[in-house]
Amino acid sequence: MNAALKERLKARLTKLLRTTLLLQIAGALTLVGLALMVWSMLQPTPLPVMLAMSVGQAIGTTAFALYLFVVIREIRREWRGKPKKDPGA
Amino acid sequence: MPANPFIQVAIGCAIVSALILVWLFFRKPPLTNATKLWLLLAIGVLPLATATTGNIAGFEATKSRQFCGSCHVMTPYKTDSEDPKSTTLAARHSHNDLFGEENCYACHADYGMFGTIVTKMGGLRHVYEYTMHYRNMPLEEAREKIRIRRPFKNSTCMHCHSTEGPTWNAVKDHASILYAVRGGYVSCASEGCHGPAHPFTKKKVSKDAKAEADTVLETEKAVTP
Repeated sequence: MNAALKERLKARLTKLLRTTLLLQIAGALTLVGLALMVWSMLQPTPLPVMLAMSVGQAIGTTAFALYLFVVIREIRREWRGKPKKDPGA
Repeated sequence: MPANPFIQVAIGCAIVSALILVWLFFRKPPLTNATKLWLLLAIGVLPLATATTGNIAGFEATKSRQFCGSCHVMTPYKTDSEDPKSTTLAARHSHNDLFGEENCYACHADYGMFGTIVTKMGGLRHVYEYTMHYRNMPLEEAREKIRIRRPFKNSTCMHCHSTEGPTWNAVKDHASILYAVRGGYVSCASEGCHGPAHPFTKKKVSKDAKAEADTVLETEKAVTP
């Protein structure tokens, strides 16, 4: 893999992992998961109930995992940016 | 709005969560601690509440006769259960308030330690079989072909009818076959005792006989113009 391709991939990945975009994806996934769960409650037949309990929950969990990933990354960035305390003080 | 409080809580949480998300989507506030907390509420806490209460409501819904009867091949069984004039074993139990709307589940559930899980796994197989084999099957054909997978266990009946009570033992037929009933050698739902449970209950057939019946059915279908 040449250096230019690596750079392009890195740039693409950085763009994809932007905080705002990830949170928007998490929000959209949450809405889809919620819609599936609400559908199963309003129409409790086998297909909606099974979809809500499997796909709906997987989507919801993915959304929450994305949120946690973003927030933890932000917190780590903040910590790294803080000036270190003087150990002698 | 459904009367079940679990459904009300679940839908309420889902609505609040969706409103917060839509609001954040259009406002696009900077990612401050307050925004993170709003997001935690909208993506984490409220959907989790929806999922928890929704799962409880979902599991409860899978117990209802309406749910079992939602596959068309179960329509005759559901109709018979709902018929106040029917005297079949299933219908008589459904007329009892203790069974009521959940009479299919009450009799077909496994009451063992992992009963609920075993029953739900069986339900998943039902969905698979229905989707793969019976989805487009005409009702008349389904009525002939569909049968219970395993013989109906007496232990299910004995969950309520313990066979210990004096009234039960006062019946001569019960007393004479007490151990056979308890051991599962004589089915409570057999013909001559209290069965068949449904008007369409079929006797258990051997694999050869079933294959033969299938061949006859296929031939009939081929001959019929």
